[in-house]
Amino acid sequence: MVPSLAIIGIDFLKAFAVAMFAMNVGVILTWVERRMRGMIQDSVGPNRAAIPVPGFVAAGLATGPAFLLAGSVLYLAFGSELPESEDAVFYGKLMLQAGVLVGWVTLAAIARSAQESGARNPLEQAIASLGSPRGIALGGVLLQVALLMIVPLLIGEVLTGPLLLTIGALALAGTAVAGAGHVGAALSSQKTVRITLLGLLHPAADGLKTVFKADFVPPKSDQFLYNLAPWISFFPTLVLLAVVPFGPALCFGKGEDGQIDLSAFQGIEAPGQMCEASRLSLQVADLNVGILYFFAMAGTGIVGAALAGWASDNKFSLLGGMRAASQMVSYEVTLGLTVVGLLMVYGTVRIDEMVLWQANNTWGIFVQPFAFFLFLAAAIAETKRIPFDIPEGESEVVAGYFTEYAGMKFSMFFFSEFIAVVSSSTLIAALFLGGWHVPFMTAEGIIVTIGDSELFRSEVSSGALVALGALTFIVKIIALCVLQVIIRWTLPRFRYDQLMRLGWRKLLPASLFNLAVTAVLILAADGASAGVKESLERAAELSMLGVGVAVIVGALALVVFLFAPRNKRIILATSAARYAQALGGTREAKLEA
Amino acid sequence: MTTQETFSSAEGLGPRKVQGKPLARPDRSVGVQAFIPALIGGLGQTIGRALVNTKEMVLGTRPDPVLEAINDGINTISYPEQRRPYPERFRGVHRLTQREDGSPRCVACLCCSTACPAQCIYIEAGDYEGDKKHAGYEKYPKRFVIDELRCIFCGFCVEACPCDAIRMDTGIHPAPYDSRDQFIYEKDLLLSIPGRHGDHESANPRIEPGEPGFPGITRLQHH
Repeated sequence: MVPSLAIIGIDFLKAFAVAMFAMNVGVILTWVERRMRGMIQDSVGPNRAAIPVPGFVAAGLATGPAFLLAGSVLYLAFGSELPESEDAVFYGKLMLQAGVLVGWVTLAAIARSAQESGARNPLEQAIASLGSPRGIALGGVLLQVALLMIVPLLIGEVLTGPLLLTIGALALAGTAVAGAGHVGAALSSQKTVRITLLGLLHPAADGLKTVFKADFVPPKSDQFLYNLAPWISFFPTLVLLAVVPFGPALCFGKGEDGQIDLSAFQGIEAPGQMCEASRLSLQVADLNVGILYFFAMAGTGIVGAALAGWASDNKFSLLGGMRAASQMVSYEVTLGLTVVGLLMVYGTVRIDEMVLWQANNTWGIFVQPFAFFLFLAAAIAETKRIPFDIPEGESEVVAGYFTEYAGMKFSMFFFSEFIAVVSSSTLIAALFLGGWHVPFMTAEGIIVTIGDSELFRSEVSSGALVALGALTFIVKIIALCVLQVIIRWTLPRFRYDQLMRLGWRKLLPASLFNLAVTAVLILAADGASAGVKESLERAAELSMLGVGVAVIVGALALVVFLFAPRNKRIILATSAARYAQALGGTREAKLEA
Repeated sequence: MTTQETFSSAEGLGPRKVQGKPLARPDRSVGVQAFIPALIGGLGQTIGRALVNTKEMVLGTRPDPVLEAINDGINTISYPEQRRPYPERFRGVHRLTQREDGSPRCVACLCCSTACPAQCIYIEAGDYEGDKKHAGYEKYPKRFVIDELRCIFCGFCVEACPCDAIRMDTGIHPAPYDSRDQFIYEKDLLLSIPGRHGDHESANPRIEPGEPGFPGITRLQHH
């Protein structure tokens, strides 16, 4: 059966999106790694790269998207057919919340700048007199929570869908244009503005720099293998993501020729609905081997490291390559055996079906908690990162297997390591954290049910569910990436023998033990009475409820943390401190020389 | 919430008594040796530190690294975006002080270049001529050159100067340059560098012969 042109186009689009996702998150991870490591010590980190543009261009760049947003929001509210549709209430609430958010953030930022460096005009003076930035932000958050509570009560009686949509659109468009206008006015008064994108341009500039750096090849190296190794190392980490679904599958009808009919959309494949005719999965390759493909490709990465070490004609490289090969082979055993437990529970090797199992029951971390930690440890060892970065231990083997690499070939190794972090995080999120699944997400929306009682019901359209699922998946991936980065900041490197002992004598027996216990438990659960099975289902629902509560509590804790003031003491013991105070503080110190 | 403590000058100057705190010996209990609890504690420490510092940086409220450094955790000065102001008696780049009319106070006596252990000062003396105010009794430096690369910033030149003409109170350290000849500071450059407070004169008054309060014997009395 020859796929139609549209399907080929969609496949290409999916591959492109996934590759861009991995590479971009790789770049951002590089930034996070360097910037946030500085954050532990309270320094800024490298952010010197900037594009200087004239002030009016910067003002245009700042206000343009806001005007675009305002225009599209106003079009949705007044020009389209949205007000008559069922989604009006949902989009109205969304716009209202977004408008309030933009509003208080802008007000707090203006109040802050007025407090720091004085108000520039009467408007800023008036805003600053509203209250402290902290107070304005607190008021904004409270207003948002209040709206979240009040608006659903008013709907039907006072508020109709179109009215809510109008209010929301006006709020969002107004605050966005006002905030961006204020920023734009401030920018256009400057002669040149240095655009740094929060320092994001710095890793980009570093990446660009490596392209132009001298490409030194050791004269006695094996030229062919030396040049091949970075590609063998880089390519598999990128194609790993092909079998991971980034959102729920879309169901379509079948056309007359037996092919998928893209015009007949029937909803998404989520709990409560299975695709009947044809499905369009949101993963690049719909392979039957699923996770085995992942392991096959991850295993190929070993060859790259070993080849690089061998071909470099350098003893340190050779040692590093051997260390990399032995370490990755050792930990792949644990990795594989840990996954076997999951395969037994899920009963499939396809990652999309695993995610669906988790959506129907509960997340993998609750059925295989021990395996999660084993898998996490083994996955970090697979990516050759701290505390398992023996292959490139600077104090012992210079830079390990890529000692002799320079320029773009070096950065391919460097980059492949970061992409490997992304892909291992993706796999962990898909296997253990429910992939794209949001707790209590069904094909109709978010419906919280415990047993037979329905606690909460919010119907969401299929498109919004797909977006929500993809967004949730990305959030989970990024959270796991950050966890890996934090582990890297915290732990010292293991010694080589400690690493091997940990792999073969601790993690491997532990994963075998996990396997045995899982097998016994599965047998027990299969043969259990109806009452036990039902209590297991309740436990699954409660675990999902726990996740939801934990997320809400975490968000509240974050808000409380953000508003907590910090006591500061000014101590003027030295002439340097007195000078700093005369200058208005060290952070205000003028740039000199 | 900010409390301020200003130390009195008697307490602020000189070495202050350091009060030590006995540290407990490292804990080698089972919890620590088992690695996992210690690992989780360490991760918590890292996350907490990163969260607090990120929040302070985003909100623009992080502690001032110089003023508030002592009790509020880690403070890093993000050099060169931030700089610690140098203390009052810091010996920075030299400057030549000016008289009120903008001419150098220097009388080209060569005391500084003689005292200089690094021999980095070169002075070419010349006479004030014609109707110049100081003509006939004072010299001036035709050239006054300091090689800032040779200079060891000992301050002997400042000590040696009888006229308070050379000072190192600029509060700036030599900037990095592209080539060595940029470190050769000529007279005009040295005269143009202001002191820490933006002044070009010296705090010590100079009373010329003939002016009231002139301490020496005037030429008029002499002749």
